[in-house]
Amino acid sequence: MNSDFLEIKDLKKSFGTGEARQDVLRGMNFTVKKGEFCVLLGPSGSGKSTLLNIIGGIDTPDEGYVSINGDKLEEMNESQLTMYRRKHLGYVFQMYNLIPNLNVKENIEVGAYLSDKPLNVDEVIETLGLQDHKYKYPSQLSGGQQQRVSIGRAVVKNPDILMCDEPTGALDYKTSKEILALIEDCNKKFGSTVIMVTHNEAIKYMADHVIKLRDGIVRHNDINDKKISAAELEW
Amino acid sequence: MRNPLIKRVPRELKSDWHKYLVIIVFMVLMIGVISGMYVGHDSMLAAVYEGREVLNLEDGSFELNKKASSELLEDIETGKKADVRAYYIEKGYKEADEKVAEAIEEELEKKVKAAIEDGVRAQCSAFGITDEDLIGEQIDKAIKEKFDEAVKEAKDSDEYKESVKDAYKEAHDKVIEAVDEEWDKVSEKYELDEDTEPVRVKIYENFFHDEPEDNNNDGKEDATVRIYRSDLAIDMASFNEGRAPENDHEIAVDRMHADNVGITIGDRITIGSKEYEIVGLLSYVNYLTLHQSNTDLMFDAFGFDVAMVTPEAFEKLSSRLHYNYAFLYEDEPVTKVEKADFSSAFLKSLITQTLVHDNEIEDYLPEYLRQASNFAVTDIEGDSTGASILCYILIGVIAFIFAVTISNTIDKEASVIGTLRASGYSKRELIVHYMSMPLVVTVIGAVVGNVLGYTAFKDLAVSLYYNSYSLPTCHAVWSNTAIVKTTVIPLILMFFINLFVIVKKLQLSPLRFLRHDLAKKRKAKAMRLPKWAFLKRFRLRILFQNMPNYLILIFGVILIELMLCFAFGLPDSLNYYAKNAPDMMFSEYQYMLMGIEDSDGNTIETSEESAEKFYVTNLLYPKKRSTFREGMGSGGDESVTVYGIIDGSDYVDLAEHGAYVSGAFSKKFGLHEGDEITLNAEYENKSYEIAIKGTVDYDGGIAVFMDEETFRETFEVKEDDFSGFFSHKKITDIDDQDIATVITAEDITKVTNQLMHSMGKFMDVFKYALIVLAAALIYLLAKIIIERNEHSISMVKILGFKNSEIGSLYIIPTAFVVVAFAIIGFFAGLYLMNWVFKAFMLQMDGYFAFYMKPGSMVLAVIYLLVGYAFVSLIDFIRIKKIPLDVALKNVE
Repeated sequence: MNSDFLEIKDLKKSFGTGEARQDVLRGMNFTVKKGEFCVLLGPSGSGKSTLLNIIGGIDTPDEGYVSINGDKLEEMNESQLTMYRRKHLGYVFQMYNLIPNLNVKENIEVGAYLSDKPLNVDEVIETLGLQDHKYKYPSQLSGGQQQRVSIGRAVVKNPDILMCDEPTGALDYKTSKEILALIEDCNKKFGSTVIMVTHNEAIKYMADHVIKLRDGIVRHNDINDKKISAAELEW
Repeated sequence: MRNPLIKRVPRELKSDWHKYLVIIVFMVLMIGVISGMYVGHDSMLAAVYEGREVLNLEDGSFELNKKASSELLEDIETGKKADVRAYYIEKGYKEADEKVAEAIEEELEKKVKAAIEDGVRAQCSAFGITDEDLIGEQIDKAIKEKFDEAVKEAKDSDEYKESVKDAYKEAHDKVIEAVDEEWDKVSEKYELDEDTEPVRVKIYENFFHDEPEDNNNDGKEDATVRIYRSDLAIDMASFNEGRAPENDHEIAVDRMHADNVGITIGDRITIGSKEYEIVGLLSYVNYLTLHQSNTDLMFDAFGFDVAMVTPEAFEKLSSRLHYNYAFLYEDEPVTKVEKADFSSAFLKSLITQTLVHDNEIEDYLPEYLRQASNFAVTDIEGDSTGASILCYILIGVIAFIFAVTISNTIDKEASVIGTLRASGYSKRELIVHYMSMPLVVTVIGAVVGNVLGYTAFKDLAVSLYYNSYSLPTCHAVWSNTAIVKTTVIPLILMFFINLFVIVKKLQLSPLRFLRHDLAKKRKAKAMRLPKWAFLKRFRLRILFQNMPNYLILIFGVILIELMLCFAFGLPDSLNYYAKNAPDMMFSEYQYMLMGIEDSDGNTIETSEESAEKFYVTNLLYPKKRSTFREGMGSGGDESVTVYGIIDGSDYVDLAEHGAYVSGAFSKKFGLHEGDEITLNAEYENKSYEIAIKGTVDYDGGIAVFMDEETFRETFEVKEDDFSGFFSHKKITDIDDQDIATVITAEDITKVTNQLMHSMGKFMDVFKYALIVLAAALIYLLAKIIIERNEHSISMVKILGFKNSEIGSLYIIPTAFVVVAFAIIGFFAGLYLMNWVFKAFMLQMDGYFAFYMKPGSMVLAVIYLLVGYAFVSLIDFIRIKKIPLDVALKNVE
């Protein structure tokens, strides 16, 4: 965790035109170091999901740039962006978006298939505590279990960056903590940089780097020296 | 690592088996029926073509008045023309010499006797004898004593020799003159003067007896049976069932005739006065249709039969033996023109050789003109049109189903697609993934369909041919047409349509997939609705919200109506044509003559007042060969009858001199006044450019009408060389043997009836297949609408709406759309069908427009509505089955 791995520079993004125009990102600047657990915090409409999507290469800024390891995303064409996502990113969404007719193991394999350096699928399943469910279909799992699978699908790629968009948004307190602990584990165990979007203030305590957004700009950009483990979180 | 997404394909098939089963059944039926038609068609033709080789089909045959001498047969086989003129001269000389010799003898006798009498009278006068009795006695005595010596003396005289020479010369000159005169006529008629290459042939005896057949042994004649020996080496038969006769009491009869009159192996029939047991049902290679005479417009498988008995039994038959000889050319002609040239050259040899060998030709028929062996083949070659139309309609329907299904699947899986794309799956990988399902389904449909096509449906198609013709047994052959039309084209179509839809759908960004934002346009504002009851407004909202789905449904309804129009309209069109064909005839009778002179050489005339002479010739109109089945009959040239009509005709009214096309000709090929067409002779390398002056209102055939003068000028026909008579009434004073064919209203109906008979069963198959397919399509479309609304339905369930309310919310708008568009869809389908039918008529010979009875029109709409009523019941069950958690689990 020494060099700037991810750089966000003067990032601007708006939706709509004329009177309906809404500036979602209004000049955003920050950097993230490799292996950092970074939390993007903010209320609804603060632009955190849009920011995450731009970092993930599935949305584009109007101005400014995102650079990963020195490579600027806006200089990449569509297939290069696909390769970028394929090789470097893991995505975890609030909705798990699992493939209904693939079982747990196969859903995780969907991620493994994309990677040149995938983790061992069974090990990941074990880490996620899903060994008893690995042949179940998503419809046979609880929300928390489904989210674990979704995390498994992302981390099995052994990605450089794990993008998490409100991963606990649809989960109860206990399950949320379990999921956060898992993401924390992955961060430590596999060294992935984690960028997590959340509106849950409590989560900032487990992060290395907390960026608070409001109205499309960075309000606070803090390094957390006193981070605690997910298990210790309370809200 | 293998892409794990591939595992979804079998699971998807299993989980949504209703839908895929319907699609697969649809494809299997479509591919099976059409493939069966083509395989049956191609197998039948292959069997017929093979039969022509194996069973040694003749190149032609001729019948002689008496058995041919071996010299005659040998001379005919050389293919050389006999020197008929020399033969006539020699014969004339012989006759003339006999007559001259007789005349000379008579004259000499008369003169010698007169000289002797003169001598005796002079002597008597010198002696004063006047008694005539005494003089007479003296004359008789003198003649007795001196006649021979006087004759000898006279014959030795130079004067005698000179006059005998003169007499013979004069007689010979007259013979030559007479022969030349006759020769000119004959040689002109048969073009005997032309130098032709001799056409060598091999001749086979193919004698037959035409006997009365009593097939129920009630003493009454039921049919005429043409009986051949079982040991013939030409025009042989193949056995559909049973075997060849082995003893005097056994017979094998035509299979089609047996089917028609209800006799079979083991039955006993009476031929002449003798009973035979049927031991075989056969198909003679030269009697695929039972045309008793080649001039019969239609065959008669009830009243005519062909049969085989042992040579011993054949010898015992009592009716007149027909000395029929079949021949094969040593060098096989290939093209039609070659066949015509060979036949005409051979005929010259036959005529001349028969003449010089003192025999007489009763009948001559080259094989290429033989109806009994060509009618069925031409008919089979051309009758895959129905299957072709159906094939294209169904391929369109299938493509539509897949486009809708795949588009629906992508909409349903938007989040998954978004996630996969966000995770780094490339568009290509997803395209391949989503392409695999429709292709797998098409391949399953194609494989099962083809297996059925080559087995059950092929047998069905073949049995339909067997219902019409006396065909040999056939075995399934590989049909390129079937595989291309039912498998390759649907697969290619499926591939490209799905590729197009999927590529287009996957153009959206991963984010839009994740947000389920798949609509091209976003609605600016919700439409304001009148203050109706809540449920009514809700329903209307559902209707608006599902507009794209309903557009698909409407398109589907049009396709269903197109299929139903085909199912009901094809038999209607044939029936309508059959019913109206007699009214289309411009003349109640058309007598086509064998020649303009009767057997006595007099020009054929009739006392029938309504009779009117006409000229006619048959030519070919070249079609554009746009189909890949060209050369299989359906793609061949159109046969055009060109009539020459006399001025002031009672039958055809031509406004001016020139050429007019029939209504059918004009409609089929879009010909108009001022157009120029080229017509070609079928058996000669001749072409005629014809400028169209207008149209004659005649839909009964593809014809050109010209005034007499134009006709004669165009085709270089002499004024007297007319072809026959039009007549309102039956002509009774022309000898039957001078009439080639009489076309009456009945004959036209016979043709269409036969068409109905041979195509009718196909049409029933098509009809039922199409009704099943139409039901399957409406089922799929309705299912798609419910599937697309699953979330909303689940949500309103959560809100507490009852199933009946939800049913009324979601089914009534769909029902409204189906009912409203059933009628509009019908007219759109009818319009499309008319267009499709017209396009396919181009591949057939002749023309008739697509027609639907009003009753069928109503049925086409009712079938759709009844089908939908059943489907809406299924929809209601579907709605009841949608679980509440669909909305809960996937809400974002």
